[in-house]
Amino acid sequence: MLEIKNLNASINNKEILKGLNISIKPGELHAIMGPNGSGKSTLANILSGKEGYKISGELMYQGKNLNEISIDERAQKGIFLAFQYPTEIPGVNTSNFLRTSLNKVRKAQGKKELDALSFLKIVKEKSNELGMDEKMLSRQLNVGFSGGEKKKNEILQMKILDPNLVILDETDSGLDIDALKIVADGVNSSRNNEKSFLVITHYQRLLNFIKPDFVHVLSDGKIIKSGTKELAMELEKTGYKGIN
Amino acid sequence: MLNFKINSSEIDKIGNFTKEEKNFRLKNLNYFNDNGFPNKKDEDWKFSDLKTIISKNFTKLDIQFAKSKKEKVDFIKDFEHNYIIITNGELSASDFRYEEKNKINLESFVNDNYSNEKENNPLINLNHALSNKGYYLEVKDNYKFKKILVIYYLFTEDLDENILNSKNKIRIGKNSELHLLEYLVNSSKQNFFNNVYEDVVLENSATLKNIYLQNNKSSGYFHKYSVNKLFTGSNYTSFIFPAGLKFNKLDLEFNLEGERSECNLQSASFIDNSEHQEIKTRVNHLSPNCKSHQKVKNVLNTEAKGVYQGKIFVKDVAQKTDAYQLSKAILLSESSEFNSKPELEIYADDVKCSHGSTSGNLDKDSIYYLMTRGLSQKESSKLLINGFLNEVVDSIKSNSIRNFIKTKLQTQLQNEHKKH
Repeated sequence: MLEIKNLNASINNKEILKGLNISIKPGELHAIMGPNGSGKSTLANILSGKEGYKISGELMYQGKNLNEISIDERAQKGIFLAFQYPTEIPGVNTSNFLRTSLNKVRKAQGKKELDALSFLKIVKEKSNELGMDEKMLSRQLNVGFSGGEKKKNEILQMKILDPNLVILDETDSGLDIDALKIVADGVNSSRNNEKSFLVITHYQRLLNFIKPDFVHVLSDGKIIKSGTKELAMELEKTGYKGIN
Repeated sequence: MLNFKINSSEIDKIGNFTKEEKNFRLKNLNYFNDNGFPNKKDEDWKFSDLKTIISKNFTKLDIQFAKSKKEKVDFIKDFEHNYIIITNGELSASDFRYEEKNKINLESFVNDNYSNEKENNPLINLNHALSNKGYYLEVKDNYKFKKILVIYYLFTEDLDENILNSKNKIRIGKNSELHLLEYLVNSSKQNFFNNVYEDVVLENSATLKNIYLQNNKSSGYFHKYSVNKLFTGSNYTSFIFPAGLKFNKLDLEFNLEGERSECNLQSASFIDNSEHQEIKTRVNHLSPNCKSHQKVKNVLNTEAKGVYQGKIFVKDVAQKTDAYQLSKAILLSESSEFNSKPELEIYADDVKCSHGSTSGNLDKDSIYYLMTRGLSQKESSKLLINGFLNEVVDSIKSNSIRNFIKTKLQTQLQNEHKKH
């Protein structure tokens, strides 16, 4: 699904990623953990196609070179990034936006666009699963949403767009334990042997609810250790400094 | 350069006037002839050099205009409404089928106030000197309109380098309420200048909700001066949606004369292709406990120029004033320009006054976010622009009218997006 080899990235002449390697197969869930400033969000941004980075190395998604694919095309090809800080967009109705987004993706994938009614059915069902208030959907996109509502809205989009590769950028930050469980359930119920996940997190806490197949430790722009979920437990005890 | 001096004999051609009225017209004609069209040396016009704009685009300005044939009206079908039809400034038809007719007075109007006060705006002088049409609408005391009133302002195909000077007067009686849609439909093919003087009075506890919508772009050059007097407890809400014209200046003055009177003004527009638009407001807080709220939003594309000059004046007696003004502009092109001049002049000490003005590009982070959801850059920009402007439309309370306005603006925006 995703093959990253010797990825280097810098922004404003500051090197952030320094030879990162990772390989994710269909159906796998990988967690990347690391201290502040280790390059976690940069990795997420680069995978989504955010501009402003100088990049070298190999970045392959489903056998294609990602560098040649624009941000919107990546989304249409099934890459989804759940933002750490979802952007507030005044004047744009959440439900209309979700439908526009879904139909863009469906159209690109050669599927029929959904009319308002069938869309409403899907969005109602999925938002209920996440315990979201339906009224939220008629509000302006992320405007005045609480931290938890914003994160749930990201997971809702993930469920609606049904991507192949999901990147969760610190989706657990700012969530209370109940919201965390709901978000984790949302992720777990989406898992199957075709979808891949890259879960970026600061704390081991999330991984109690979402069980990773592999855990990587990112430090100073490189993966310094890889293992299974036991590695996350170990990290919790020793801290990032204890790894090496 | 077009030398636009008007011979006093023109006034006799308009009609036979009493001595008082004729003197008033002559005096104002002299004021205008002394100044000519205002240019950027006038403080009130420093961002809108009308003299240059007129000279560039007109070879003449005909005061006389043969009465045109009756225009076919494309009535709004989205909601039931009363209507008035104004053709080239002249009252031509009306229908108040949903109302009690004895509560309403509508007649053709020329002028009834020959004040000696000198106006500082040459276009008002010009209007005072030459206005020969318009309407007077009165809603008598204690009457609430049951349905909205649409005023269709039609501009006919045969206009050609004419100047129209009209005066309109609206009075809303005590405890009365009127919802108004001023709907401008323009079929003219050639340039013309429309110069309007408007006088609005809201008596005690009267309510006026007004939407001003220019249906389409046109070759009209528009200037409107509007003076609004608000007495005790009255409430004026105004939404302004200009279509983008080669020249469009709305000069609006609100006098909050009575205690607890309130005015609320919001505007949203997309201007493009060398269009020029100015909204100038002056809100005079003259009594205690009054509120005023202004929000002006502009999106500007290639070579477009937008101006907002907003002044809030608070008289010493106007304690507990609550005044707010905000201007937001999005510039889509390097060649677009937005000028904002907020002004506060406060003589009372217990007031709440605030103003803000921002102008900038579309937010990059927002575009990035939308693109990660599969929307192209163009679609993302479009969504953000619509969202920016829709915020104003969304505060219209009536569903059917809000949807009507939304659809109209959407069509205008789609035409814009197609061009680029």
